[in-house]
Amino acid sequence: MRISTIAFANLKRRKGKAIFLAIGIAIGIGTAVALLSLSGSIKEEIGSQLDRFGANIVVVPQSNSLSLDYGGLSVSSVSFDVKQLKNEDANSVLDIPFRNRISNVSPKLLGAVGVEGREVLLVGVDFNSELTLKRWWHVAGRNPEGEQELLVGYEVARALSLIEPSAPVVEPHVSHGGTHDSSEDQFQFKIVRDRIKLADKDHQVAGVISQTGGPEDRMIFGSLPHVQALLNKPGQLSLIEVSALCKDCPIEDIVAQISARMPDAKVSAIQQSVRARSETVERLTRFSAVVAAVVLGIGALMIFTTMMGSVIERTKEIGVLRAIGFRRAHIIKGLMIEVAAISLVGGLLGWAAGLLASWVALPYFAETRIGFEFQPLLAIAAIAAGLVIGTISSFYPIVRASRLDPSEAVRYV
Amino acid sequence: MVRHSAARIGSACVASCALRRNSMSFVKIEGIGKVYEANGDSPAVRVLSDVNAEIAEGEFVCLMGPSGSGKSTLLTIVGAMNHPTEGRVLVDDIDVYGLEDERRADFRREYLGFVFQQHHLLPYLNALENAMLPLATTQLSTREKRERAVSVLEKVGLADKGSRLPNQLSGGEQGRLAIARAIVNEPPLILADEPTGSLDTKTGHEVMEVFMKLNRQGQTVFMVTHNPENSALAHRIINIVDGRVA
Repeated sequence: MRISTIAFANLKRRKGKAIFLAIGIAIGIGTAVALLSLSGSIKEEIGSQLDRFGANIVVVPQSNSLSLDYGGLSVSSVSFDVKQLKNEDANSVLDIPFRNRISNVSPKLLGAVGVEGREVLLVGVDFNSELTLKRWWHVAGRNPEGEQELLVGYEVARALSLIEPSAPVVEPHVSHGGTHDSSEDQFQFKIVRDRIKLADKDHQVAGVISQTGGPEDRMIFGSLPHVQALLNKPGQLSLIEVSALCKDCPIEDIVAQISARMPDAKVSAIQQSVRARSETVERLTRFSAVVAAVVLGIGALMIFTTMMGSVIERTKEIGVLRAIGFRRAHIIKGLMIEVAAISLVGGLLGWAAGLLASWVALPYFAETRIGFEFQPLLAIAAIAAGLVIGTISSFYPIVRASRLDPSEAVRYV
Repeated sequence: MVRHSAARIGSACVASCALRRNSMSFVKIEGIGKVYEANGDSPAVRVLSDVNAEIAEGEFVCLMGPSGSGKSTLLTIVGAMNHPTEGRVLVDDIDVYGLEDERRADFRREYLGFVFQQHHLLPYLNALENAMLPLATTQLSTREKRERAVSVLEKVGLADKGSRLPNQLSGGEQGRLAIARAIVNEPPLILADEPTGSLDTKTGHEVMEVFMKLNRQGQTVFMVTHNPENSALAHRIINIVDGRVA
């Protein structure tokens, strides 16, 4: 017989009350776990969606020269640029201390080129990087493979009569990520011609990018070395687009580090998307925290009132224990063991219920579905929170119980 | 103070009386007064005034008096559970109320066994566990605790009922179990507050027999009772009227 024997025997006797308390704690913890898991998952999703928006850092040469327009960014003209970016500069982006935060580096060379009597903006890119970066592109046809193969923007393709409207009109399917789709039925057009003369040289059109409403609609994309050769700018770049993984990303630090590596370049962060993301995530996190705190507070109040009731109900018993030589510390220990056992069960139940609830609810809030991934830290935090809430909210009733005057307590009945 | 059994013992007990006189100081109640403070609409009430008494080791003393005379209050004061307003209680020369609260709890565990009128057994523990209860906070091994509890259950005639819950025992058995719990830690002093008060005559006798047996084995017993039959079994009776020793 130990104090714990008495505590567990009492729990067994008052099963109903113990279960009620455990459920109370479980609801509080479960709500907190569900909200935190949900907000965490939504945070992940927002983060990755924003990351998918493409580059959030752009590196351009330092220049006061005449510029061409590229998606609202000023890009210096090749002919006047004296501090030209080089192929090696793209590699040096990956030398910064925060290189593990860089998900993509996409160097580009821009230049005007004559295509069948029209002036078109030709962009030399590394297709692998570019298509990874521009996940919202839907390519009719296929991705370019050879040096001479091109991707053509929608407006250019239309102007050059490379495409014709097709029927029936089917919405493009939601496979993102710059993947090509050979089934042209999914596009509102079909490719009717796949060869063009670019700078008086015959080129294969591998695919046409469906309309994005962006600057790429008015561009032709070729492989970087080929475009560099066509424009007679070997090894030169007009800009480098950098995509930094933006979950909690220290974007200013990354910009500073790239600037330090390339003192002759102008490095700019596209702050707007980062700020919008941070604010959205912050609001969501704050909302989750407030709701979780309210629910936990209600749970704590419930435990407090139940424990107060329990102490009053057990006045006689506590008096007897004091009368036969239990110290106040022994009374506190016994009651704490009960509360801890209930809180432990409540915390565990809450953790499991919270995960289940977030798993069920997540599809209603986000596109992704999370799997049942065991997160030891979350489990430990949930159980610890259950213990802390149970202990704190029971503290006053328990101390009050330990202070009962044994003679009064025994006389109470 | 009335030496109830003095005539019965008479001159034949010179030796034993001399021994008892030598140990007269086991419990000393010196000038005890108790006032319950005013509480809400209830005014302050003086329950005890200048109570003096002594109990020798091995004595069986009954405390009698009308209802409201302060018997139970005096018992709880001697039982280190109820701080007196005036005076002091010495048990084995220990000033009980000179001890700080937690030490006083230790004192209750080491020196006292308390038997309540309603027995106050814990309903969710079986007889063996109830008997073991005062040992829960001691350093004894589980085996030792169990052996002691089994031994006291044997003493009170409940050896075969250790696994029963209190509500599966008769009133007399519950009374005996309460005594077993009181003596399991081998206290030198047993305090009993009308232990037969809630029992019928037959079961009351059963319980009193246990007290007598314990006393014969040397246990000091201080018992509050209304029952003259019980007090007739004691060595001595202390009568208390209106909070004073009569």
